[in-house]
Amino acid sequence: MKKAYDVIIIGGGVVGCAIAWFLSHFDLKILLLERELDVCCGVSKANTGILHSRSYLTPGTVKGELHQRALSWFPEIEKELDFHPTVTGALTVAFNQDDLNYLKSIKKIGKYDDAEILSPQESRILEPNLSDRIVATYYDPHAAVVSPFRLTLAFAEGAALNGVKFHFDRSVGGFDQQGKKIIVHTPNENYEASYVVNATGLSSVKIAQKSGDRVPDLSAFKGEYFLLDKESQGLVKKILYPIPNSVSKGILVSPTPEGNILAGPNFESSCADDTSTTPQGLNEVKAGAQKLVPQFPFNQTIQIFAGIRPTLPERDFLIFVSKKYPGLIHLCGIESPGLTASPGIAEYVGELLVQQGLSLKNKDQIIFRKAFPVFHDCDWEKREELIAQDPDWGQIVCRCEEVTIAEVKYALRMNPPARTMDGLKRRIRVTAGRCQGSFCQMHLPSIVMNLLNIGIQDLLKSDKNSNLFVGETKKVVNAHATPH
Amino acid sequence: MPHHIDCDVVVIGGGPAGMASALSAWNHGARKIFILERNDYLGGILNQCIHPGFGLQVFGEELTGPEYAARYIDQLAKTSIEVMTETTVLDLTPNKKITAVNPEGVWEFYSESVILSMGCREKTRGMIFIPGFRPAGIYTAGLAQYLVNVEGYLPGKKVVILGSGDIGLIMARRLTLEGVKVEAVVEVRPSLSGLIRNYVQCLLDFELPLLLSHTVTNIFGKERVEGVEISRVDQSWQPIPGTERLLNCDTLLLSVGLLPENEISRKAGVSLCHFSHGPFVDESFSTDLDGIYACGNVASVFDLVDYVTLVSQKAGQTAAEYRDKKPIKYQLNPGSGVGLVIPQRVRQVDNGWLFVRPDQSFRDGKVQFRTQGKVFDKKRVAVCRPSEMIRYDLKNIHWPEEGGEVIVEIIGNPIEGI
Repeated sequence: MKKAYDVIIIGGGVVGCAIAWFLSHFDLKILLLERELDVCCGVSKANTGILHSRSYLTPGTVKGELHQRALSWFPEIEKELDFHPTVTGALTVAFNQDDLNYLKSIKKIGKYDDAEILSPQESRILEPNLSDRIVATYYDPHAAVVSPFRLTLAFAEGAALNGVKFHFDRSVGGFDQQGKKIIVHTPNENYEASYVVNATGLSSVKIAQKSGDRVPDLSAFKGEYFLLDKESQGLVKKILYPIPNSVSKGILVSPTPEGNILAGPNFESSCADDTSTTPQGLNEVKAGAQKLVPQFPFNQTIQIFAGIRPTLPERDFLIFVSKKYPGLIHLCGIESPGLTASPGIAEYVGELLVQQGLSLKNKDQIIFRKAFPVFHDCDWEKREELIAQDPDWGQIVCRCEEVTIAEVKYALRMNPPARTMDGLKRRIRVTAGRCQGSFCQMHLPSIVMNLLNIGIQDLLKSDKNSNLFVGETKKVVNAHATPH
Repeated sequence: MPHHIDCDVVVIGGGPAGMASALSAWNHGARKIFILERNDYLGGILNQCIHPGFGLQVFGEELTGPEYAARYIDQLAKTSIEVMTETTVLDLTPNKKITAVNPEGVWEFYSESVILSMGCREKTRGMIFIPGFRPAGIYTAGLAQYLVNVEGYLPGKKVVILGSGDIGLIMARRLTLEGVKVEAVVEVRPSLSGLIRNYVQCLLDFELPLLLSHTVTNIFGKERVEGVEISRVDQSWQPIPGTERLLNCDTLLLSVGLLPENEISRKAGVSLCHFSHGPFVDESFSTDLDGIYACGNVASVFDLVDYVTLVSQKAGQTAAEYRDKKPIKYQLNPGSGVGLVIPQRVRQVDNGWLFVRPDQSFRDGKVQFRTQGKVFDKKRVAVCRPSEMIRYDLKNIHWPEEGGEVIVEIIGNPIEGI
């Protein structure tokens, strides 16, 4: 049986979810298909988590235009999705005269009254751990950091609240035209829609090719990262950008919204599913971070990880209507600043859909998302109030991030719900702290199994075959049982 | 309003250190004593240590972990010490206000003495920079021990264990008994990290291979572990190119060290020591903050629970008596051959112990005590290893008249191999 939708979005990364949220404002039947078991499992899950300000946009490109458009969306996102970026500001660091010229050029692009070029002394008052070999910095107070998980989930939850359906474990195999409708094939079932948006990141070109469209091949470039313990909080208070090189923004050092410190990414040729870290890559990141912050405390590392950039030869976003299917839009090459640009991309996709004949009729009422409380961030008064409402708030399951059972229950019940350990991590930060799960995973498996009413063989870390356990230990045999 | 409690002693953590210190405080006259424990049971990690080997020093007999814990749980039941389980301490101030939460609400304790006994945690994969993928099937050995022994879950069928520390060795045997194939125990050092008796009883008796001077250099498998690459390492523990080989497995257990867990100590502003990773303590396990004590693995990771009990009893006694402290006379630091010394401060030498942990294995060695370049005492040790602390009664060391910095060092022939 085919199910008919007005719009099907393929891909539950930050871009797919932003499109779903944007379109959920209109009177449409919308479905989001995701290959994995959760949103935010691909490119969106491993990146710097920065909302790059206007100073860092690339003029004359599609990504520059959508980046610029996106920035005006964030007040709306705060209001409707209760999602707040942490505005840290940024310093871009110059080590020589050429670098200094670059700082002047981005100051011109930014056009901020309160941005300025600072002397080494002034820079080091703001960031005392900055290298003493700098010649100047460009201070932009508008750059912000976000958790890519939280932003993607805010879009997803906001979309779901306003009627968007999510189907997981759906890998799109191809398309067919049936009258004015597009049939979307997946191994599980087929779907029917008037319009389809391909927002599949690393798979976007492959899927575009399945619809008969000619797109240059994607190249996958890996970026590796170090994540430091919260003990290192304050090492830097702002994002420290190096001068970009010809291929990327370079290896930066940044605080995270949760109080960790992040260093990375490098830029190395890779393939789409290779998220492994390498000694060479990590060494490169080390050198890059030490250039900015010579005393970078690598001994406080709690995790190393890698993300993949889906890049096209032109190094720009390629967003276009399929030649064969007028209702199908492909989004290819969405790399940095894709996270920042996501609401701008969503708006643009909406315009393309209208051009292709979709009518956007505003809904009478939009449901605003209210962020679920984060126990760790609450003051004592609020904590008391929460525990009085529900004793689950008084039961802490993750000691590093101070996450309560109430939050675990929320993560399993919200829409779209967590179904894996990594899904829990992305929503409520269990296993994301300094012990990386060696304490909370003592108790989480049984809690999750009980709440979801699933067996031990169904407990997954992330993907379908990422089983946490192979079974149970030997059972106690009843000594009094009569043998057959 | 938060629940408000004034009391004599609050013990943070109900593991072996917390139980022993609370009981000792009780036996030395303190009356209003609270143990705050985040789990819903006392005993801490002892509950998952179902193997024997505990209690030889304290009880003169060999007990399992749960049996050892039970002795203290039984004693606690005979006192009026209040045990609050499912209660997590979230804050401690320098003037000894403790804030905790449990399902009944927020609790504030104002205590004369506070005993820190939060134990330790395991080092993880990220901390030792093992490159590769991040699939399911990578566990710290202690976590795996809990999951197997308490929950009854089996993490995998074919396992490689990195680290020949005691938990790693014990888990090699435990998993073998559950029908799991242990491919190898891999150790970066040129010698064993754990106790010899565990090597014999857990590896030799089951013919499990130990690979010294090797480490894991890559992890394969995107969803679940499919194998690990191991390499030989040089003297500075760097992998030697060309020595890589693949071990097929579905699980990697990490037994690569423990770290005292001092988040709460840090909130109070207790000074922490860079070599023990716990608070600076004196011979009665007082921290540098008045009325705050640290005992057991939160102060420094001990090799035997019996030692944890001994030092915790000391802390409990001092916390109960709460008298003026003598000034610090000696400040102890590890020298060559020594990983750590605990306590790092000595006020009085008539009572208490000194624990010395070698940083490598030595034969025919001696422990030397130096001040201002001059050796003032030396003690012979036939064999010593990082896994076994050397314990001295403070009064058996010939301390110099004058106080000051004391360096403790070990001279001997390094042991390669087991």
